[in-house]
Amino acid sequence: MSATNEKAPARVVVVGLASCFGCQLQITNIERHLLDVLGQVDLRYWQLTSSDPMPEEFDVAVIEGAVTTEEAVRTVRELRERAGTVIAIGACAVTAGIPAMAAPGFAERAASVYGDEAPEACGSLRPPAPVSSVIAVDHEVRCCPIDPLDFVDTLQRVLRGSNKAVPTSTLCGECKRNERGCFYGRETLCLGLVTRAGCGARCPDLGRPCNGCAGLSPDANVASARAVAARSGVDPARLDKALELFNTVDPSLASKG
Amino acid sequence: MLYRVIDAAELPALVDAFMERYEVIAPVRSGRSFAFEAVGSFDDIVLDYPTTITSPKKYVLPPRETLFEFDAAANEVADFVEEVTPRVIFGVHACDINALNSLDLVFRDARYPDPYYAARRDATMVVGISCTPSEGCFCHLVDADEARTGYDLFLQDIGGRYLVSIGSVEAANILEGACNPREATDEDRIAFRHATRRRQASFNPDIPNIQEVPMLMDAFHSDPFWEELGGRCLSCTACSSVCPTCYCFDIRDTMDPDGVHGLRERTWDACTSPQFAVVAGGHNFRADGRNRVRHRMYHKLNGFMAAHDRNLCVGCGRCVYACKAGISPIEVLRFFERKGADDAD
Repeated sequence: MSATNEKAPARVVVVGLASCFGCQLQITNIERHLLDVLGQVDLRYWQLTSSDPMPEEFDVAVIEGAVTTEEAVRTVRELRERAGTVIAIGACAVTAGIPAMAAPGFAERAASVYGDEAPEACGSLRPPAPVSSVIAVDHEVRCCPIDPLDFVDTLQRVLRGSNKAVPTSTLCGECKRNERGCFYGRETLCLGLVTRAGCGARCPDLGRPCNGCAGLSPDANVASARAVAARSGVDPARLDKALELFNTVDPSLASKG
Repeated sequence: MLYRVIDAAELPALVDAFMERYEVIAPVRSGRSFAFEAVGSFDDIVLDYPTTITSPKKYVLPPRETLFEFDAAANEVADFVEEVTPRVIFGVHACDINALNSLDLVFRDARYPDPYYAARRDATMVVGISCTPSEGCFCHLVDADEARTGYDLFLQDIGGRYLVSIGSVEAANILEGACNPREATDEDRIAFRHATRRRQASFNPDIPNIQEVPMLMDAFHSDPFWEELGGRCLSCTACSSVCPTCYCFDIRDTMDPDGVHGLRERTWDACTSPQFAVVAGGHNFRADGRNRVRHRMYHKLNGFMAAHDRNLCVGCGRCVYACKAGISPIEVLRFFERKGADDAD
């Protein structure tokens, strides 16, 4: 799975699926480091910057966006076959994010918009799903949008390896390191209780409750979080509802209920 | 120990004198709570703060610190020497002084001295202050309600004046220069005894006083209680983020975006983090909340005692507030109380 090659730099492709393209755009927002980063790889394809066709051979596939069509399924399978390493970036690719809000009752929703048959340009529609539900994903860069330096850090991990653990703890620990009080003390819903840490609890640090864009932690204790909400005067149903923004198709939600 | 008395009105002059030579860290208002921060004026300091979200630990063991720098292209390591700011942490409660003393036992262990910790600790003066226990305080149950050592000055509020315990020559000189410290009178000593009694009477009586906690921890190691307590864990590590004595750390390399320069960093870790006990090969020795929470409580109330003859938990109560799932040493004490009642039936 290592894409390291002593001689030639790793060949990288960046592919966008169903998304706002904001995470690809975020990569360009590291102006100060962009040339440094691009200098470490052989960028073969980037949908955002060129309409040239995707090359046949590459080492690292960076995928943004949710899988929402059969064509996208084929695309990511082809990427997996050719790439030594697959990186999913952004909430849409990692958790199916906002596109996944359409997943429950998807056929009816599509019919209500397009009638009997969706236009050909839509492709062959399927319920939105994270990339990892179709192929094995080696690395994930979370959040909506991604932190571009987090992307660079992940790229470095692929290029050189890393001794950094990827924790699955939830957000409140980072929030406390920021020395912030708790929204639940103010009867305010916050998804930090169940959302994966790693972002540095930035939104709570700026005075906004966590909306869960990093996705549910595999170690999330949703039942306990509901109990916290109830004790704090927040209707637990609101917590479940808020989780739909980025976690509608999280397979653990049904079982953790 | 040397004792002197100063008037409350002399405190600003004392802080000013420290500010001339040191960065002064003190409790200030932060949102709805309080935090230790650098202050520029005595007026910013809230001396009667109940507690702070995190502890002064961050000044001797920062959440993230650089150990050294490296150049991956040249394969070279540059010894990193941190410029340590000489500091006074002003207004530290007895629990937190005891916590620093426990950290000293770990990081200044003669067998494995930690130069990074020692550099910061050596450059840090501690001025303690007496306090009134809050609802979540139980320092008196873990023998941490009194700071016997580990401070440069300790200010005991005895009503309009402070009985000052002097712990270092350096601090004594600053006290002498800034204030007019006088000998304690019988009246001062009586006021001190009254203040101490008032404080003792202020602890939350609903927190049970359990004897032989370390022994009970061993006796009830397999009790279903741990499943009940750990089953609530949110795996957020807020407990250790606020704990004044959690000292576990991770070490990792952080690359600069240029892919050449990097830092070897030390960051706080937590035994309540799901990956804490993962070893090479992927096995996790504490794979669930039950095992992780139990382990944390054992270290706080049993394990450190076995190694160092003192409780690692100092009863500061921060985790009582930080843990939204209601997991804290107080729950362990209550469990032992219930067990005692069961046995009596």
